[in-house]
Amino acid sequence: MHFIRYILKRLVYAAIILFFILSFNFLIFRVMPGNPVGTLQSPNMTPEMKQLVAEQYGLDKPLKDQYFIYIKNLLKFEFGYSFQTRRPVKDEILERLPNTLLLLGTSTLLSMILGILMGIFAAARRGSVAEHLTIGSGLLAYSVPTFFLQLLLLLAFAFFWPIFPIRGTMSIPPPTGFFPLLVDRLHHLALPALSLTIIGAGSWALYTRNAMSDALCQDYILTAKAKGLAPRRILYHHAFRSILPPIVTLFFLSLPGIIGGAVVTESIFSWPGVGRYLLSATLEANYPAAQGAFYLIALATLISNLVADLAYGLVDPRIRVGQGGH
Amino acid sequence: MTFRSFAKQYRQSRPGMVGLGILLFFVVIAIFAPLLTSYDPLKDMNLANRMAMPAWFRIFPKYRDALQGTAFHITADEWDVKTIEGEIETAFSEQEGDDYLQLNFPEGAGKVLLTHTFGYPSDTATVFEIGLIYGISQLDSGNAALSFSIVDPNGKTYSPWKSQNHRSTMEVRKFSIDSRDMRVKTALGLGPFGDAAKTVFTSSGEYSLNILMEKTPESGPVTIDLGKMTFVVPGEVHGVLGVDHLGCDLWSQLAYGTRFALLIGLSAAFIAVVVGTTIGIISGYVGGFIDEILMRLADIMLSVPLLPILIILAAFFGKSIWNTVILIAVFAWMGTARMVRSQTLSLREQTFVEAARAAGASQTYIMWHHIMPNVLPLVFASLVLLIPSAILFESTLSFLGFGDPSTPTWGNMLQNAQNFGAFTRLAWWWILPPGLAITLLAMAFVLIGNTLNEILDPRHQER
Repeated sequence: MHFIRYILKRLVYAAIILFFILSFNFLIFRVMPGNPVGTLQSPNMTPEMKQLVAEQYGLDKPLKDQYFIYIKNLLKFEFGYSFQTRRPVKDEILERLPNTLLLLGTSTLLSMILGILMGIFAAARRGSVAEHLTIGSGLLAYSVPTFFLQLLLLLAFAFFWPIFPIRGTMSIPPPTGFFPLLVDRLHHLALPALSLTIIGAGSWALYTRNAMSDALCQDYILTAKAKGLAPRRILYHHAFRSILPPIVTLFFLSLPGIIGGAVVTESIFSWPGVGRYLLSATLEANYPAAQGAFYLIALATLISNLVADLAYGLVDPRIRVGQGGH
Repeated sequence: MTFRSFAKQYRQSRPGMVGLGILLFFVVIAIFAPLLTSYDPLKDMNLANRMAMPAWFRIFPKYRDALQGTAFHITADEWDVKTIEGEIETAFSEQEGDDYLQLNFPEGAGKVLLTHTFGYPSDTATVFEIGLIYGISQLDSGNAALSFSIVDPNGKTYSPWKSQNHRSTMEVRKFSIDSRDMRVKTALGLGPFGDAAKTVFTSSGEYSLNILMEKTPESGPVTIDLGKMTFVVPGEVHGVLGVDHLGCDLWSQLAYGTRFALLIGLSAAFIAVVVGTTIGIISGYVGGFIDEILMRLADIMLSVPLLPILIILAAFFGKSIWNTVILIAVFAWMGTARMVRSQTLSLREQTFVEAARAAGASQTYIMWHHIMPNVLPLVFASLVLLIPSAILFESTLSFLGFGDPSTPTWGNMLQNAQNFGAFTRLAWWWILPPGLAITLLAMAFVLIGNTLNEILDPRHQER
């Protein structure tokens, strides 16, 4: 019962935040420099297109009606037409979405695995090189700007030693055949994914090390040691298992930052994804494109926050069975 | 905790002292930026060839023969004034922030020679550029002229420029000499393919620049205001860090950038912490409905995609550093508010607060006089820990093109480096310094903040 109430509460919050995002989108893109109609129609559209956009958004109706029409359109992912290409923004975003998912998925997975392993090693051997490395990389993760690390990698491995390509997701023209194509894609993916992995791994390692150090001080670990269990078994089956729930939650909590950071990474490596689309649309005052990309990113953030809350509820027994807590 | 014991504990923390040292280093650079460099970071353009390397590269054999250029201003007080004919009064005047050397010629003949001698450090020049602004005001019968000449170490004189006879009553003139200009070549007696720079600046040594002002005997009184003269022999190497794509000094940009990084980081974090503390205390002490509203607001703010929303708002509000500061602050108060709220919740139940309540103190009084002083130490630690993230966000926004282009921030330097070909030229001396500066400054604040947290947070002391 308690858990259902918890879920319902989180869903209501998510709905409220969604409402804020929608309203923010409506407001900010109506008052952007230029007249309100100018944020949906551009001079380089044909009269027919302008007519179409006006009808779709009810631009002749009062602002209140426009608001509801707008919300309805956004919920259907209808963002209007790009000022640059005059194509539907929805189609342009759908083309870019797989690239972003590929980049963020690969790097998030790699950084988690690498970071957690580093953290476990560091916690298991206090005072070792691994621990100093972990603390150091954690500190660097908080002070090196992402874009600078990426610029350095680009300078070193794409310009100075041209091992990796400078930009894009594949060679132009792309190689033929399945296998060469796959290698080509991975070759292009390597540098941006590597840079995000390095940055992400530092904070994962630091978190895991701290959580593991705390876990290793617990009484049940002492009991396990007293029973004469192998250290490896204690480390992975007892200590690591106990920190797994917060790690799962943290994974979902880290997603908003990762999604937002895509803007920087994609622009540096000219990676045709949603983040770069948002950036160039904003810089070029391509309002339909900017609001579409922003809405999608905000929605992804919202969902990952919601899932983090639900995961937290699932793994935290206090919430699941409703003892103590709030 | 007394300040003494705090200072003692702080001194024992090695990371804390390292952080403080780094911070001090940057503060010194920020304060003394005008003394550390003689160029304006953005206004002094074409100081050297486009993207020239640092001057110290000449220690490498490969660049030993790279042309060392020279670029300087001659301000009003740096001229050596010699009156050759007539009674001429000189004075210094200031007009719109610039210094002028004023020369007042009475009626009758007059002749003044201004000289500035400098050591030319390089070998044969490829180009020289000279610019000067002057104003001439005279009564209707005035008649004066200026001529410019260069004397080389061997005493040979070159006269590349001469003004026409000024006759009108008031005039502001700008003369600029470019050695590639046909007029200059003709004045030096060279053909169209002659090289004026090669002819004049053949070797290093003492050169002098002369301005001769002459007035005919029948002329009336004349006043000449002489502005700042710029002299540039653009080199292949320049200064401490070279120059950017416009020929602006990169070391000046780095030094002045320190000011902006500190200013933006400190002010954004300060605003965020003031807002966060206020909200945290009110939320924790008043509780109830207000607490619910404020904490839900914090939740909402925490769950927006930060960088995308900052980009859109920065585009909307326009590119200025204060907009950036306020935007960063608006999205940075939530952590402090939560921390202060939980502190306030435990302070509220303490006996001294209950005593104050029993004595009839108002809510505002208790929050201000009893809660606030007790949360202040931790607020201070969270202020220091917010500064690095403010610095990182500001530099990211600048780098992405949402910074104020008229300020020399580190993010702008990196944006220019990426947009104007520093990578294809492998100009690491342009790319590394601003990035390392951001990293070191952010790291300094992280180290100091962590140390403060360890000393000031009661939870840490129990361990």
